[in-house]
Amino acid sequence: MKKIIQSLALLALSGSIAISAQATTPEEDLAAFQNFFKNRFPGVPMEEYTNGVYSIDPIGRENWEAIEEFPPYEPFIDEGQSMWETPFANGKTYKDCFPDGPSIKGKFPYWDKQQGMVITLPLAINQCREANGEKPLKYKKGPINNILSYIAYESRGQATNVVVPEDDPKALEAYEAGKKFYYTRRGQLNFSCANCHLQNAGMKIRSDILSPALGHTTHFPVYRSKWGTVGTLHRRFTGCNKQVRAKPFKAHGEQYRNLEYFLTYMSNGLPLNGPGARK
Amino acid sequence: MFVKSRKWIGMSSTIAVLAGQFLIMHVSVAAGSSVIEEGKAIAFDRKKGNCLACHMITGGNLPGNIAPPLIAMKGRYTNKEDLRKQIWDPTIANPESSMPPFGKHEVLTKAELDKVVEFIWSL
Amino acid sequence: MISNLMKAKNREFFRMQIKSMLKIVSLALLLGFGLATQAEQTAAPAADPKIAKAQQMIDDADKARKKAASVESEWRDTGKMIKMAKEALKKGDSVKAMQLAAKAHKQGVLGYQQAMAQKDQGTPSYLKY
Repeated sequence: MKKIIQSLALLALSGSIAISAQATTPEEDLAAFQNFFKNRFPGVPMEEYTNGVYSIDPIGRENWEAIEEFPPYEPFIDEGQSMWETPFANGKTYKDCFPDGPSIKGKFPYWDKQQGMVITLPLAINQCREANGEKPLKYKKGPINNILSYIAYESRGQATNVVVPEDDPKALEAYEAGKKFYYTRRGQLNFSCANCHLQNAGMKIRSDILSPALGHTTHFPVYRSKWGTVGTLHRRFTGCNKQVRAKPFKAHGEQYRNLEYFLTYMSNGLPLNGPGARK
Repeated sequence: MFVKSRKWIGMSSTIAVLAGQFLIMHVSVAAGSSVIEEGKAIAFDRKKGNCLACHMITGGNLPGNIAPPLIAMKGRYTNKEDLRKQIWDPTIANPESSMPPFGKHEVLTKAELDKVVEFIWSL
Repeated sequence: MISNLMKAKNREFFRMQIKSMLKIVSLALLLGFGLATQAEQTAAPAADPKIAKAQQMIDDADKARKKAASVESEWRDTGKMIKMAKEALKKGDSVKAMQLAAKAHKQGVLGYQQAMAQKDQGTPSYLKY
């Protein structure tokens, strides 16, 4: 009897060790995430993942390279530049909010200790507008894509470098929430983000190759032929959630902000190359 | 389940419905090939089974390759009921399966699922 | 499911009682104005027990939808189904309204279960640490 109790206690102990061993740091997550792709596509250099599915789809790549000859997102960059340079009604400009601008994309998303939340670039743009008495822009379609295109273009070559600061446990919570979101199955079709873009990355769904999650955030905003225009990362999140028949969340609401925080972290080290073009 | 969703009809009509189901089933046993054809249509329909998204199936264009080709099913499942269970909820056999639980999540109705099972079983 | 149905039936019974009382009062009042026949006509459809039942089912479906949403697991079409059920009921098609409400209710329950089943789930096994 005593032995049974002892072995039970041991079992419980080893069980709890196994559970605590599961709690991983963001650094460990990053290594596991990037190693997954290194193992799956051994011939693909890290930087290539910024080209999304075209890093692993030689046929699609030819088309894409042809499209990039005359980039469909170019007019959006120009529009964005004039937005950046045009003063608000109060005479101030975006530059007053972002003194280092316009090449600031590499700083986003970041944890804002004061506001106690992840700040994304589109959110910061709207906070700037509202602080200057301007109406906020819609987050998925429309002019926000112009200014984002311009900022992304000016930020090309910066490295993805998301930080989860250790001086605020809430930052890690936000990261963990984003990670949980990424691995949680949703919707009637029961897919998680990871089911398609990690577990089955590189496989064909019908004739489409599932793009690798690594590098997903580097090229937004993106001109998508399917949309016929440039759209934001959160517009894409919305589309993915709808496809698995889940109700999408609010663009730049807490869920998608945290998701962007985690997902961008997973691409740490990759250069920014937005705006991009995708089919 | 039929009874559950039709509680409001009242007992007599429920019995009538059930009797009707039996009749349909009876007919379908007799006309097996047409049930298989119906199952095929549901399996290939992008808004229903959409099996081709992931599985190669003879007679289907542009199949995906996420999951194994659907061939020699009678060699892979000892009976139709096991196959049905797999389509009903594949995460029971493998919690990390990417396949949607077509029955459990009511992506297909029970009648549709039965027809799909007939079709896949015939492959 | 069954206890819900019982509750719904109880509620429905009280509702029916109140409705029939109201009917008598309004009937008496209107009789005085000599409009008895007209009153009968307008009161008749409201007495259909299926309407109260459908309304109850729609309310229950919306509760289930909100419960799924509270764990970030609402499905895409549940809200649409509830909206369609409401519209069907407005048009007097209580049968269609009940069908849609039942389907939406099930989706809410399944969405909630889906999230609960993954509550303590860690990272997938194909990700090697």
